[in-house]
Amino acid sequence: MSTDAQSGEDAGVEPEPEESEGPPMPQSTSETPSYDGEFDAIVVGAGLAGSAAALTMAEEGLDVIMLERGNSPGTKNVFGGIMFTPRIRELTDFEDAPKQRFVAQKTFSMLSEEGDATEVSMQPAAWKEEPHNDSWMVLRGDFDEWFAEQAVDAGATLITETTVTDLVREKGAIAGVETDRPDGRLHAPTVVLAEGANSLVSEGAGLAESQQRTDVAVSAKEVRKYDRETIEDRFHLTDEEGAAMHYFGDGAVGDAVGGGFIYTNKRTLSIGVVYSIEDAVHDERSPDEVLDDFKSHPAVAPLVTGGRMIEYSAHAIPEGGPDAMPDLVHDGAVITGDAAGLVLNNGLHLEGTNMAVESGYQAGKAVADAVASGRTDAAALSAYEEAMNDSWVIDNLNHYGWFLDAAAEDKEFLFDDLPRAIADAETDYFRMNDEPKTRHTKSARKRLVGAMGGYLGAAKKAWKYRKLFS
Amino acid sequence: MSAQPKTPDVEQPSIEDRLYTVKYEDPGESHLDVKLPGICEEKCVTQDCVSVCPANVWRMEGDDGVPTIAYENCLECGSCRWACQHGNVVWEYPENGSGVSYKYG
Repeated sequence: MSTDAQSGEDAGVEPEPEESEGPPMPQSTSETPSYDGEFDAIVVGAGLAGSAAALTMAEEGLDVIMLERGNSPGTKNVFGGIMFTPRIRELTDFEDAPKQRFVAQKTFSMLSEEGDATEVSMQPAAWKEEPHNDSWMVLRGDFDEWFAEQAVDAGATLITETTVTDLVREKGAIAGVETDRPDGRLHAPTVVLAEGANSLVSEGAGLAESQQRTDVAVSAKEVRKYDRETIEDRFHLTDEEGAAMHYFGDGAVGDAVGGGFIYTNKRTLSIGVVYSIEDAVHDERSPDEVLDDFKSHPAVAPLVTGGRMIEYSAHAIPEGGPDAMPDLVHDGAVITGDAAGLVLNNGLHLEGTNMAVESGYQAGKAVADAVASGRTDAAALSAYEEAMNDSWVIDNLNHYGWFLDAAAEDKEFLFDDLPRAIADAETDYFRMNDEPKTRHTKSARKRLVGAMGGYLGAAKKAWKYRKLFS
Repeated sequence: MSAQPKTPDVEQPSIEDRLYTVKYEDPGESHLDVKLPGICEEKCVTQDCVSVCPANVWRMEGDDGVPTIAYENCLECGSCRWACQHGNVVWEYPENGSGVSYKYG
């Protein structure tokens, strides 16, 4: 479809002087030195969104090439720990996927700096039955490799160790990509941008603006190895059951909007902290020191003591919500996954993996229809944006879009005063001494109401945060 | 003598020990830079690139106010890029699969 445009471009390419030193463009195939113009769609990044898009398009009969900068899919990727699988289960033979444990138990804890902890723990029986509420702990190294293989099995071409450095434009429309390979320019009528949180290509090409640092979180995480028995004993797990533990308050990440987490894998724990870059620059501690302090909290240390660190990692998370999202559709290109800012954090729901897969799937369908129609301008690709706007993805982002701003506004109350007041109220309410319980109750209530700013303040806060439960 | 329950020890690895766990291939040249050293020298007083970095890449070692960059420590999170309020961080992907390779992620 882009043949004439392609030949025009080729004429203008100058030979690269160091060409013979670099590795040749084709990686996993033996011949055909040029992939240029061979494909209907180029996918930038073989993460969750990219592989979902490539798989969907390949199954629709498109010629698809996936470009991954890492030496295999997943090697540049980090996440907290949970794959939410409703769509991926439909797209693949998910029972074959490399999984760790399903989420059988979820906890939310509020930690004070002084060592107090208040935990809410839930383990509904329904989560123990298939499909386990579509929530699985996985490790991205093997999971992303497997998911990309599903796209390759469906007919997509995967090229690794190849970084997309820019987009190619022709007559204003995106018509391909530049890569860091010799003669690495590729033309195709559509480009699916699935490059992740650090979306240099989308930004460099003017398709997305750089995020504010209040809208991006930094995460530091370590994976620690233990005996399987140690993990199952500590978290009360059997078989494939796993625990997803979330921690808030200044005992978790200090005076910051964010939190800590522990996810149980088969023989490892994923232990990490996530907090906004705005807060990170104001904390005297570096993210690895915040992680150390979180691990040392009296409520956390017994769960993570011992073991052996087998990997340390860090990553950024786009948390700006609907206002920070770029336009999803452009002439010749669509943006998916983290690159599109598709992450939900309302304090209770911490999602991104499901949204990445859903966006890749919806983008793949829209691109397939557009390519079949012979037109790949923004209007022809707009079915992707419409599908997203009609989906739970954008609905959820819009519904909870206010949350992180509110949390930043109430930071001191939510992460400092409240954990302290709750711990003090607990201490009073259950106190053992010679005073009557009515006095303990009154004292506990006074602490809570005081922290809320009186009854009026409590009512205001309840109203402000009502949408978390509506 | 009352025995206080003791919080168990947890490993607090040095950043060197942390980075030692990550597979890394040196691209040979830095994928990070400052755009205009003058901005670091004259306009920046907070060194947010240093504060945010989880891998001790950005360091204030000299007296000129321009950070030194230990790019081979970089975990490719990109945080410095957003942290810098002056937009003065040059950030490129390391080429051809070099840089970090996470095994677990």
